[in-house]
Amino acid sequence: MLFDAHVHLGSWPFSFLPEYNAPQLAAHLKAHGIGRAAVAPLAAVLAPDPLPASRALLAAVRKVPALLPLPAVNPALAHWREQLDLAATGPLRAIKLYPNYHNYKLESPRFAPFFAEVAARGLRIVIGVRLEDERHRYFALNIKGVPVKSLAAFLKQYPKLHPLVLGLYLPELRELAKAAKNFSADTSCVEWIRSAETLAKEFPHDRILFSSHTPFFNTRAGVDKLTSGDLPAKVRTAFESANAERFFGL
Amino acid sequence: MRAIDIHTHPVFFGKGHSRREANEFAAYGQSNGIEHMIALGDVLVFGKDPTAKQISFINDQTADLIRWRPDYYTGFCCLNPTLGEKPVMREVERCVEMGFRGIKLEISNNARDACMKPVMRAAEQWDIAVLQHSWSMTNIRQRSYHSDPEDTCLLARRHPNVRVIMAHLTGCGYRGVLEAKGVDNLVVDTSGGYPEAGILDYALEHLGADHIVYGSDLPIRETSVTLGRTLGTDMSESEREKILHLNTRRILKL
Repeated sequence: MLFDAHVHLGSWPFSFLPEYNAPQLAAHLKAHGIGRAAVAPLAAVLAPDPLPASRALLAAVRKVPALLPLPAVNPALAHWREQLDLAATGPLRAIKLYPNYHNYKLESPRFAPFFAEVAARGLRIVIGVRLEDERHRYFALNIKGVPVKSLAAFLKQYPKLHPLVLGLYLPELRELAKAAKNFSADTSCVEWIRSAETLAKEFPHDRILFSSHTPFFNTRAGVDKLTSGDLPAKVRTAFESANAERFFGL
Repeated sequence: MRAIDIHTHPVFFGKGHSRREANEFAAYGQSNGIEHMIALGDVLVFGKDPTAKQISFINDQTADLIRWRPDYYTGFCCLNPTLGEKPVMREVERCVEMGFRGIKLEISNNARDACMKPVMRAAEQWDIAVLQHSWSMTNIRQRSYHSDPEDTCLLARRHPNVRVIMAHLTGCGYRGVLEAKGVDNLVVDTSGGYPEAGILDYALEHLGADHIVYGSDLPIRETSVTLGRTLGTDMSESEREKILHLNTRRILKL
């Protein structure tokens, strides 16, 4: 079964995405061969404080073992330690950051204490680069993907961190890979003819994680992208689940 | 499953124009269940305003694909409508004689511009379809030469005897679907953009399966992903058959 590194639970006001509660989402993913998923709270993306949505997520998936909660954290808010406290209670011991939606730059020196604390607590970092194609997002939501330059500066600043970066386009992934080695990436927004083979050919096999980006993207489309690829068995296993299990320490 | 891909670019920015590459591209499609492809040409290789000579070069490359693999490729004639009536009519006639079944329009002009009249007249005269690149211009400020779905639907309404394919369902978005509602001579293709959830369901609800055709935009996109979205959207088998190949056969008279 696949491990999906990029799933959200909740609703999104700018599109007609399918809406699921936690058991429905787990059943939907299972029907597409996804056994477990790292699930972030969608309500946290636009909320002034992500903590209530993260708490709600933990409660919603408590009895749904296939969904592993990934609390959202906004380090620009004064109560970031309280947010990290909550993240530390989850089974993944990981946090999800949305720098562009939460209006901060990862590489800003003001976050040095935050990332030091994250490292000290042994929390894993997952960075959401984008949720939507910027070309047809809601017109008044003028939010672009996190720039590669910003990610590269962040990775250079914290060479001992190894975040998972979600939602990079293939050209962005190529550019970032030239600038840094200390990150992993997902498959959701990497698309070109023979995507899986391209990823296997161009990037270290231990740093690519499968993701469907459900509910934003059609789940089957994301699964088929990987499963239809002509990959050696070892690489397929790494992309499908082994890399995610290692990243999250499962 | 049977499927025809109405939106492909086997030659893309100079790559893919050889018998070997044409065969490899076809083999890729066949291995993913695509039994036939519509080749639209290397439409942006010379930028948005190709000359008459450059247009002929692009269409000659498409003609080569058809010659090499007549079983697998059907060609569309790439045009620059701003070149005027004579060059347009001459090129369409030349392409039709080479067996092309449609016209492909990119971003030389907006679909509502007056220069589209001879293009549509040629399409009607030769009984071929017109595929117009379309994308929501809400966030892209290029409408003077880049067609919004509103423009493409207006084009179709102005020329009810021409079969119009509005490209890029995801790029056209929900507003584009609503623009297309009730335009009998228009279908929207599913090519382009990421496999966003919800939009194909919405198109099915508002346009019906008769007005949707499968397309990928290869090689920019991936067949498994574009097909996967169609196969992973809730619809009846007869609706799926229409979208995947029957509508394209009907529109292009294949």
